[in-house]
Amino acid sequence: MHWLLLASDATNNSAYSYFPIGIQLIFAAGFVAFMIALSQWVGPKRKTNDKLQNFTSGIASHGDARQPMAIKYFLVAILFVLFDVEVIFFYPYAVNFRELGWAGFGAVVMFVSFFLLGFIYIIKKGALKWED
Amino acid sequence: MPIQYYIILSLALFCIGIVGVLVRRNAIIIFMCIELMLNAVNLLLVAFSKMQYNTAVIANKATTVGAEGQLFVFFIMVVAAAEVSVGLAIIVMMFRNTHSIDVNFLNRLKN
Amino acid sequence: MNAIILSALGGIVMMFTGIFTQNKIVIKNIAIITLLLLLIGNLLHFYGIYMLHVDVKDMLQFNNFGLFFNTIAFTSTLIYFLLSGTDITKVGINVAEYFALIFFVLCGVSILTSFHNLLMLFLGIEILSIPLYILTGADKKNLKSNEAALKYFLMGSFSTGILLMGIALLYGASGNFSIESVPSTTSKVAEMANSSILTPLGLLFVFVALLFKVSAAPFHFWVPDVYDGAPSVFTSFMATIAKAVGFIAFIFLFESRIAELGPSSRIIIPFVIILTLLIGNITAVFQQSVKRMLAYSSIAQAGFMLFVLYSNNDISSEGILLYSVAYSFATIGIFAILIKMKDYTFEGYNGLAKKEPLIAAANTIFLLSLAGIPLTAGFFAKYYMLLSAIKANGQNALWLVIVAVLFAAVSVYYYFRVIQAMYFKEGNPEIATTNTSFKVILLALAAIIIFIGLFPTVVLNFLYF
Repeated sequence: MHWLLLASDATNNSAYSYFPIGIQLIFAAGFVAFMIALSQWVGPKRKTNDKLQNFTSGIASHGDARQPMAIKYFLVAILFVLFDVEVIFFYPYAVNFRELGWAGFGAVVMFVSFFLLGFIYIIKKGALKWED
Repeated sequence: MPIQYYIILSLALFCIGIVGVLVRRNAIIIFMCIELMLNAVNLLLVAFSKMQYNTAVIANKATTVGAEGQLFVFFIMVVAAAEVSVGLAIIVMMFRNTHSIDVNFLNRLKN
Repeated sequence: MNAIILSALGGIVMMFTGIFTQNKIVIKNIAIITLLLLLIGNLLHFYGIYMLHVDVKDMLQFNNFGLFFNTIAFTSTLIYFLLSGTDITKVGINVAEYFALIFFVLCGVSILTSFHNLLMLFLGIEILSIPLYILTGADKKNLKSNEAALKYFLMGSFSTGILLMGIALLYGASGNFSIESVPSTTSKVAEMANSSILTPLGLLFVFVALLFKVSAAPFHFWVPDVYDGAPSVFTSFMATIAKAVGFIAFIFLFESRIAELGPSSRIIIPFVIILTLLIGNITAVFQQSVKRMLAYSSIAQAGFMLFVLYSNNDISSEGILLYSVAYSFATIGIFAILIKMKDYTFEGYNGLAKKEPLIAAANTIFLLSLAGIPLTAGFFAKYYMLLSAIKANGQNALWLVIVAVLFAAVSVYYYFRVIQAMYFKEGNPEIATTNTSFKVILLALAAIIIFIGLFPTVVLNFLYF
């Protein structure tokens, strides 16, 4: 179980150990700012009225973007979140794969099979049917 | 860093969440504030887990103290995801009937 | 262990039943058979017969007390299915899912009656609550149901957040999630974390969160709206089984640790009890709707159940079991009749005794039991709770007991209003047609309540066999 804690070093854990991270943060922010400024400064500029229009893949835009969406998107998104988050339990299993052996494998297979049951259930219920 | 910093940070986040739940009137924002409370707890659990480990490792190099705290965080995340799906479904159901997610409209049951 | 595994499997079986058949009667009967299997599995556990040998790492501990509560919960659910099963199938189109969700709630119940670790407490409460949020909003087109679901959901997850904060603080103080107060392995941890503050603060958070779940004042405000808005069939389930188990969780958690809450715990608990009794009883008096009156009366009943925290001894543990039986059985019976009524106001019951004498008689017994009239189960339930308080604290508890008895007298008023409407007022109550089996089960339930009222020890002996 001590995999969670391997990365830590109790004797050397002070504000100083965050120094490289700080450097990296400053570098990342500075690099982005520098590139944006550079493209502004060096790049050619042509100001026309067309450029201020919204661009939607060449089709003239119309209406408000905040229109009600089909509920199907919501359903698929929520189901994705549900099945996606459960993957979190594979993480401790993957790290302890060897130690847990066949018993652990059996437990994970049981876990996955419950998920499969849930998946079969939503398919049978027609939650993923895209066309009406 | 001393543990007190983490305790104060996560209690501050937790209080922001509580105040948000009590003050805001938009169901989605209330919901986000509840998530903020849960994440404050996650932060605190991880900080405590590390603290327990750091004190235990001095006596015993191969200690596993503190791992439970981080595993608890996994469970909180998974349960939060389940709650999100149910909660958003309820909010969508509400919106379909009233075309509003303002909790001030929740007064049909008052009398 | 049997109960946890079988109830989870039962939920999955019901989910798939919904795919293969739409026949409501078939679905209902499968649910009843699955529940019977669950009940048998739980009884087998008493004799040490397990389905699976799982190493639970001491996160769960099974004792007779918890198993007995499981039996009560499953029996109540069985009676509930038999009485109101047909009404469950009428709430909406996803019939099998309602039964599946009820099985998942029972899974949460069985975890909460055996947890020995704060992680299991958290999971149990969530497995119990999340299906209840869905059941509350089951009547999708009804605005009241939507509103109740949203309120219940927001309040429920808010209290979950508080519970988790408490658990995190307790973890910081002790370094593990055991529910017993294990002193930290290294003294330095305690020093660093100022655990002298962390433990009482953490316990206070958990205490508040559980008060939310058992609907005790001052955290009761969601109860009337939610119980009123939810479809009546599910209110019946929520107000009985899902609520009583909260007290079991309370006992497991605070049995040995109540003193750690600090010296103020001696003041907090009587304060909560009196406030709960006051708000529940006084507000119930002014209600016009029987359903809403029952919601407030369930708050008042929670006040009596909270005595288990005050006295915290053997008699109170026995008393809470007896109380769960008496309260669950009577409330399920009253709701089964309420669902059949067209009009939920007190006037709706006018003249019921003339039209349906058997149903009115059964309803009278249930109401008398809730009011705590002698010869019914409710009397001994209240008696045990008050006796435990006297046994625990002697003369000091006397004033609390007197206050509780006074409030019980207040409760007689609003329960008798229903009886008065049924027997002494003229009217033409609109009640859905009921078949003979409904009446037979209702009368059997009433007979059980009177039997327990006469021989309460029969139930309790079960605990020690």
